[in-house]
Amino acid sequence: MSIFHKISNWFEDAAYIWRQEIKQVFRDEGVLIFCIIVPLAYPLLYSWIYNNEVVHEVPVVVVDQSHSQLSRQFVRMCDASPDVKVISYAEDLDDAQSLVSRQIVKGVYLIPSDFSTKVNRGEQAVINVYCDMSLMLAYKAIYMTSMQVSQTMGAEIQKKVSGNYTDREDAITTRPLDFEDVPIFNQSGGYGNFIIPGVIMLIIQQTLVLGIGLAAGTARERNRYSDLVPINRCYSGVYRIICGKALCYLMVYAVMSAWLTLVVPRLFSFIALVHWQDLLALMVPYLLACTFFGMTLSCLVHYRENVMLLIVFLSLPLLFLSGVSWPLSNISGTWQSISWLFPSTFGVRAFVRMNTMGGVLSDVVNEVRCLWVLAAAYFGFACIVYGFEKRRTYLHAHERLEMLRKKREIRLQLKQKVEHP
Amino acid sequence: MKTLYLIWQIAKRECKILYVNRIYFFSMVFFPLLTMVFFTSLMDEGLPEDMPVGVVDLDNTTTSRSLIRRLDAFQSSKVVAHYPSVAEARRAIQENEIYAFLYIPKGTTDNLLSSRQPKISYYYNMASVLSGSLLMRDLKTISTLGSAGVGQATMRAKGYTQEQTTAFLQPIRINLHQVGNPWTNYNSYLSTTIVPGVMMLFMFMISAYSLGMELKFGRGKEWLKMADNRIVVAILGKFLPQAVVFLSLIFFYEFYIYGIMHFPHQGDIWDIILLSLLEVFGSIGFGIFAFGLMPSLRMSMSICSLWAVLSFSLAGFTYPVMGMDAPIQALTWLFPLRHYYMLYQITVFNGFPLIDAWFHFVALVGFVLLPWFVVMKIKNAMLHYVYIP
Repeated sequence: MSIFHKISNWFEDAAYIWRQEIKQVFRDEGVLIFCIIVPLAYPLLYSWIYNNEVVHEVPVVVVDQSHSQLSRQFVRMCDASPDVKVISYAEDLDDAQSLVSRQIVKGVYLIPSDFSTKVNRGEQAVINVYCDMSLMLAYKAIYMTSMQVSQTMGAEIQKKVSGNYTDREDAITTRPLDFEDVPIFNQSGGYGNFIIPGVIMLIIQQTLVLGIGLAAGTARERNRYSDLVPINRCYSGVYRIICGKALCYLMVYAVMSAWLTLVVPRLFSFIALVHWQDLLALMVPYLLACTFFGMTLSCLVHYRENVMLLIVFLSLPLLFLSGVSWPLSNISGTWQSISWLFPSTFGVRAFVRMNTMGGVLSDVVNEVRCLWVLAAAYFGFACIVYGFEKRRTYLHAHERLEMLRKKREIRLQLKQKVEHP
Repeated sequence: MKTLYLIWQIAKRECKILYVNRIYFFSMVFFPLLTMVFFTSLMDEGLPEDMPVGVVDLDNTTTSRSLIRRLDAFQSSKVVAHYPSVAEARRAIQENEIYAFLYIPKGTTDNLLSSRQPKISYYYNMASVLSGSLLMRDLKTISTLGSAGVGQATMRAKGYTQEQTTAFLQPIRINLHQVGNPWTNYNSYLSTTIVPGVMMLFMFMISAYSLGMELKFGRGKEWLKMADNRIVVAILGKFLPQAVVFLSLIFFYEFYIYGIMHFPHQGDIWDIILLSLLEVFGSIGFGIFAFGLMPSLRMSMSICSLWAVLSFSLAGFTYPVMGMDAPIQALTWLFPLRHYYMLYQITVFNGFPLIDAWFHFVALVGFVLLPWFVVMKIKNAMLHYVYIP
């Protein structure tokens, strides 16, 4: 056989496996759910959940014991701020607490009776803020608003007592050192912009691995000896099996990841700063790493449903390990090194930095390199486990052949005995 | 008496099944324990400390250096690098070396001393909300202190008393009471809901899985026969061992977080026990219900896993439910974790009376009773359905 013939044979076999795998994907309900429906629908649902981005108008109750013009000004200014809404007044703290316990408000502003007196006497006045700490975003809104209002009112008081002549003098007295805070990359501090890119990349990995695992489980259950690799001339080489199967998933996920990374953020006007060339350079190794990771795992499961028990619960820990919600600098070395086993760790980091933080490929070159290393490593593992599976198939085929041969021999012997007793 | 005996027999049979199939051990004991250790150890600090922060100090005077030293001394921030320009500091953020930086332009001290109101800026990366908002707080305090420092020096020179100075610099002080969690401990904030959420995920899936496996291996008829064809008895016996395993795991976790890690809680031990019981039986109830709706192993497990993963977002313990759109707000009622979180924060965390959380209590009881609607369907499935791979 010429080398050209061999190569064309190889491609034909791989293409055959590719076709078989696609057929299986579209025939299997479970795979269909995880490879098509979930990647299509889930990001939409998540985006809808976080669509409002920030929490406005957190309800608070005011206990105004001062009943003064100044205390009413404080309440008015808090109510006018975007983040807090004063929805009720209470007589005392117990009264206010009962509103907190009935989940009507998330915090209490208590203005003591000597508030106005103290301000007018030139002493430091105090406002008590009680926050329900079961929701950090609500706590932040209530606390930051009260801080801002107290500083604004404080500046007014400073101006009154310092006896300046010009506005410029007032400005310098209240703020000798001016400062400006600039939130970058996610100016509104929106929750959706922060979590969605990570979730998107995680959905790609999790559904891909689940899909591959379910398909492998089905293949095993359809097989007489519960082997992963069927007895077929086309399935004679490990590389062509892996390439053929990988091509099928890469094909489906080329479309899915384009939908997830390009369309979904734009549909909901999330931040999308990534250039397509950079995205391509990231997604190719990411999808390859995920596919081979899934193939390696798929050899470990015997019943198809087990893969769900193995993979689904990892979603949340993996999101944390990617450093999106808990800062990367504060994740211990043990957990970090475990996180390097999963493509999503690097995929999420690189995608967030390019998509949300406007980085270019050179900013995430380390992550992309790691993804290539992972892809190569998992390709190697997949080859080893598939080689193992293939040997098992041959063993089973051999056994079957032997058994058939023996059967035939016995039958022949019996025949001879019957004919020549 | 006979019923109890039957339940006992089926429970013994179930124990054997749990023992033989290793996946049960992994997803009922090993993975849950791993998750508990993971989240509690990951956020061990409570509040992220010493996050890397950069500085662009073009002024380079004692004043600017003292500002930087003070920033470094804060709990959350650690100054790790100096950059010659804003562009390079921004690039360092994009490469994830720092999370924020302080920019002190040239001539800041000169302008400060000659009362020309110089301006310093701080840039923080809000692509990560937690680190961004914590660093913002530190940097804001630093700038305010920088401002106050000047005023303080002037007033002291003029001979004002300490009280007069503080009253002038900060006429109104906010006295913050962080009720129940004065350390802003994120470990006790997140681990108390995330870990039960992961446990729920396992309980959903294992309940559907163990019912589906009966169908898959054609043991359904044998199982029903053991229970005298009484489906309720059969289900009670089947889920008794599982409930015991999950309950003991959850009690262990509660003991670990409240007894050993000393997470703050105002509610007493009965609140915690009630919550754990509702969590286990509500989740198993949901799992059985999902299987009853679609008596196919693969569909019911898919539903369970999708539901469980969604519940982390819809429970509303990170991004509050009041910030979501109205249809989504209504949707959250269908998720046991949402009711678990509300019940937890009202009764256990804040120590308010149970009556204030009655709706969520009733909802969780409803999840416990959900299988009632589908038991006959499950019986039918066990007797007549054939497993299709």
